[in-house]
Amino acid sequence: MRRNLLLLAAPLLIAATLTERDAAFIGKRRSYWTFQKPVRPEPPKLAGFSNPVDAFLVEALYSKGLSYSAPISKEKLIRRVTLDVTGLPPTPAEVEAFVKDKSPNAYEKLVDRLMASKHYGERWGLRWLDLVRYADTNGFELDAERTHAWRYRDYVINAFNSGKTYDRFIQEQLAGDEMWPGDNDALIATGFLRAGQEHIVGGNQDEEMNRQEVLTEMTTVTGSALLGMTIQCARCHNHKFDPIPQSDHYRLQAVFANTVGDELALVPKQAQQTSLDAAKAHDKKLQPFKAQVKEIDEPYRLKLVEERKKGIDPALLAAFDIPNEKRTPEQERLAKEAKDQMTPAWDDVVAALPADVKAKRYAIRKQMHEVDLDEPEPFAAAYAVANAKKPADTHILKVGDHKSKLDLVPAGLPQVIVDPAAEFPQGLSGRRTALAQWLTSKDNPVTARVMVNRIWQLRFGTGIVATANDFGTLGARPTNQKLIDWLAVEFMDRGWDIRSIDRLLLLSVAYRQSSTYDEAKAKIDGDNKFYWRANKRRLEGEAIRDSILAVSGALNSKMGGRGVKIPIEPEIYELIFTEGETDNLWPLPVDRTEINRRSIYLLNKRSVRLPMMANFDQPDTITSCAMRSTSTHALQALTLMNSSFMQEQSKLFAQRLERECNGKQACMIDASYRLTLGRLPSAVERKMVIEFSKGEQKLSDYCLAMLNRNEFVYVP
Amino acid sequence: MYPKGLQRRNVLRMAAQGFGAVALESMLQRELGAKPRSNPLAAKAPHFPAKAKSVIFLFMVGAPGQMDTFDPKPGLARYAGKPLPESFGKISSQFTSGDTPILPSPWEFKRYGQSGLPVSSLYPHLSKCVDDICFVRNFYTESVVHAPAMYQVQSGRILMGYPSMGSWVTYGLGSESENLPAYVVMPQPEGTPEGGTPMWSSGFLPAIHQGTTLRGGPNPVLNLKLPEGMTPQRQRRTLDFLQKMNDLDTEETDTEMAARISSYELAFRMQSHAPEAVDFTKESDATRKLYGLDQKPTQEFGARCLLARRLVERGVRFVQLFSGGGPVSIQWDAHKDLKQNHEKMCGLTDQPIAALLQDLKSRGLLDSTLVIWGSEFGRLPMSQSGNGRDHNPHGFTMWFAGGGVKGGQAIGDTDDFGLYGVGDRYHMRDFHSTILHALGLDQHKLWYLHNGRHEKLTDFGGKVIEKVFA
Repeated sequence: MRRNLLLLAAPLLIAATLTERDAAFIGKRRSYWTFQKPVRPEPPKLAGFSNPVDAFLVEALYSKGLSYSAPISKEKLIRRVTLDVTGLPPTPAEVEAFVKDKSPNAYEKLVDRLMASKHYGERWGLRWLDLVRYADTNGFELDAERTHAWRYRDYVINAFNSGKTYDRFIQEQLAGDEMWPGDNDALIATGFLRAGQEHIVGGNQDEEMNRQEVLTEMTTVTGSALLGMTIQCARCHNHKFDPIPQSDHYRLQAVFANTVGDELALVPKQAQQTSLDAAKAHDKKLQPFKAQVKEIDEPYRLKLVEERKKGIDPALLAAFDIPNEKRTPEQERLAKEAKDQMTPAWDDVVAALPADVKAKRYAIRKQMHEVDLDEPEPFAAAYAVANAKKPADTHILKVGDHKSKLDLVPAGLPQVIVDPAAEFPQGLSGRRTALAQWLTSKDNPVTARVMVNRIWQLRFGTGIVATANDFGTLGARPTNQKLIDWLAVEFMDRGWDIRSIDRLLLLSVAYRQSSTYDEAKAKIDGDNKFYWRANKRRLEGEAIRDSILAVSGALNSKMGGRGVKIPIEPEIYELIFTEGETDNLWPLPVDRTEINRRSIYLLNKRSVRLPMMANFDQPDTITSCAMRSTSTHALQALTLMNSSFMQEQSKLFAQRLERECNGKQACMIDASYRLTLGRLPSAVERKMVIEFSKGEQKLSDYCLAMLNRNEFVYVP
Repeated sequence: MYPKGLQRRNVLRMAAQGFGAVALESMLQRELGAKPRSNPLAAKAPHFPAKAKSVIFLFMVGAPGQMDTFDPKPGLARYAGKPLPESFGKISSQFTSGDTPILPSPWEFKRYGQSGLPVSSLYPHLSKCVDDICFVRNFYTESVVHAPAMYQVQSGRILMGYPSMGSWVTYGLGSESENLPAYVVMPQPEGTPEGGTPMWSSGFLPAIHQGTTLRGGPNPVLNLKLPEGMTPQRQRRTLDFLQKMNDLDTEETDTEMAARISSYELAFRMQSHAPEAVDFTKESDATRKLYGLDQKPTQEFGARCLLARRLVERGVRFVQLFSGGGPVSIQWDAHKDLKQNHEKMCGLTDQPIAALLQDLKSRGLLDSTLVIWGSEFGRLPMSQSGNGRDHNPHGFTMWFAGGGVKGGQAIGDTDDFGLYGVGDRYHMRDFHSTILHALGLDQHKLWYLHNGRHEKLTDFGGKVIEKVFA
């Protein structure tokens, strides 16, 4: 420790003058509500509202002359809570059981059943993955798959399912390797720091710039996802609105200065060797095919080379003809140029093949790709981080440019909350641990508020602070500060137990209100800031697809594992960038039931967005997404009406109805309503359906329409 | 059980069985009166009056050499085979390190038009249009690698996935077309540019602003075509049925649900309008010939240029064409055999681009259509592989035409080698602010609040290249 302090004396001295400047910049803004430790307010005593959440809300509503809406019907309630908690619609049997259950704690039992379901973590997982902008690939032109990144996705799902407390959850993600060495889960958790895009490409690279981008990604995600602060705004200059001096961005970045990405084996050496041997053996199986393709190409390639040689500068060719070892450096350069100029690209060769030869070539490649489907799994590894062996300095960068270094800064915490003179580890190890411990200390004014707000937003559609990633001055003020403070303190007092707060919200009267519009109330609070009714919310693309699979009966609810490729439209396939051959860019799983997995398990490729997801506002995995936008446009309708997925699912749905009802119309109408909307049709609706089914209309047309209904894609 | 009291509007609807949903639609529009259905893409007024109403961006994927096209550097001949003068220091590109010899342009330049602007012999057709073109010769960009540089031209950042220019423009101006996507992208059929689909992503802007890829033929937009075995009548009936049920699901005040109902009608209209938009049968022989549809090399890009005109004519706001993509042989990325590469790529695009300018002009559309030609960067004056060139982000040419642009001028310059922009150099944010300006959009007013930042296309703000319009 002492040695560390000595080593760092210089930057700390510089820091002293800097902090004076920063202190002046922060000034009075230190008193902004976000930076004050929440104090537990006393919940108001209101008859009939035993849940403090309701007491706070109703108190605020009354003060505005508002009140809760009537409770939603039981049928709609189970649909709402099931979609909310699991991302799937309730089954007809579940609806029936709940409606029939007249016990006073029927709803409580329902919530507990849903929260015990493995789908709970999948639902929450999606939210968390949005925040950390998780994807299975690196991004940019090569956009290579991260073989082991999915373990982080599974870690997140399991964390919510197993009731991992939020403090531990944060600590593992920021510093699992430091705090629990040898614990595989904790190591995998650090994938959090590597979830963002990373530019990996050949050629001359500006390594310093690339490293700076990696560090920016780590810093920004920590700010947005954990701190709810827009630290990234201070990358180039002092924050324009918040008391975050530019140095804070770099002090936080310095926490990660020694953090490097690594793939760390999770199995012993022996097992690693076994996997490597299997991979080699597999590669051997591909060799004969590669040899055959080469044999086909070779004469055509040579012919092209000969043709090209004719056009090459004789001086270059002369150099090329000199044996390798006898060339001077200049001849070496010329020889390389000659070689470059005479070497045809793969597509030049393929273009030269006669049609029948080309067909044969692709038939062989097809066989090869089929063999390749049996590629053995690589040995388990964590897409994680470790500390480097050598320390790295952190400078403030003028407008974020790594070539314009300003003052050296020590690792540290935002000065608006923490006295910059306070000790912070500056060694190779322990910086991230210190950050994690500070974030999860009960003295931290931000962490708990940010997280309870996220829980709230998931259940109510909007946050108490509407800008869930920005608790700064440009962000929204809390619509009910007492409520968020009470929840934050309660959250910490309950040991950072996410599920317990979540349950509290789900059991509130507020959650069980109807979403019906009320003109008089809307006049007072048109945006429903005070929650006088529930908010209708459109399902995410993932939940729409999952719901459809559930209704058609095709859903494969297997959990975990590598990202799954599902069939994509040829038009989407064409958009996958490659300079190479295009015949095997998207191999589908051998086991076709895999393509009916829940959407959270689908391969999330940064450069290939699935229309079903992208059209419904799936975030692009580039920046942290606190809340998805809901846009409504024609491409959604085209996808939901015409895509082959929808055609197939509506046919499966029709088959299911026929099977379960022996083709009896009345039964099929009831069953279709129960499956899609969790209710029976009204008399009017029934009449409409019967009318519709006359003529040349097919049952699957009807099923398609049901899967397109507003009521089906919205949480009531 | 649902709904408890039938609303008047719903009763009306139910009585309207047999009505097409379009009729219902207009009825509903009238009924809602003060609360018209929200169309998030409704045309919006610009911040200030402007000539350009739409944009056609012709993106040359892989980067043409500026000294081989529109920025003559006769001085290079004297240095042929010699190294770049030492005063330049070490020029590191993606694959070369600045130690390869100078490669003069294999093409001759001549002066054309009243303006007498020089164009290389690669462009026999386009050279006739120079009086309509404003060349800007000293753009520079930040990355020497394709994908990040492409993201920067498209979105202002070297990172992937920020909202693209087309998304910002439709976010700012909405769409003039009710029946076609507002922002249309047409990649090279052989493959996508390095940057892939994030090049036309809407980033954090709502998905409605994403670029829609469009192609010729019976299925111009993804999932537009009727599914196999479906008849138009059956689909229309299904849609009518769906819309009636949707209407039951929808409270009168619920604009979001109402917008969803509208979106299905737009989708249906798009099914008939988009195939019409991509159908050339009504184009005259002269027009087809103009675009080179009668000749193999120009057929493909010519068809896309003609499509671009037809889309702009129909109110599409932003059309982006990519020349090049996929295998290296069909990109402008001439790391070797510059001569063969550029002659091929110009052969594919020269006549169609010239035709587009002429055709827009003769139809009176050039004034309201900003045509942009450009790339992610330029190429170095030094050679690679003896007869090719590596990437040059330090100084390169892009050009503008139409949409209020003053043609027949060249703005800015590069040094004698065509390596660095000299004088007032223009960053990609200047490029963007200029384009927004042409459309009547103030770069500082066109923002979107995301994660606590007022995000803008031009981020810190660029300088509008006023001379372009002077």
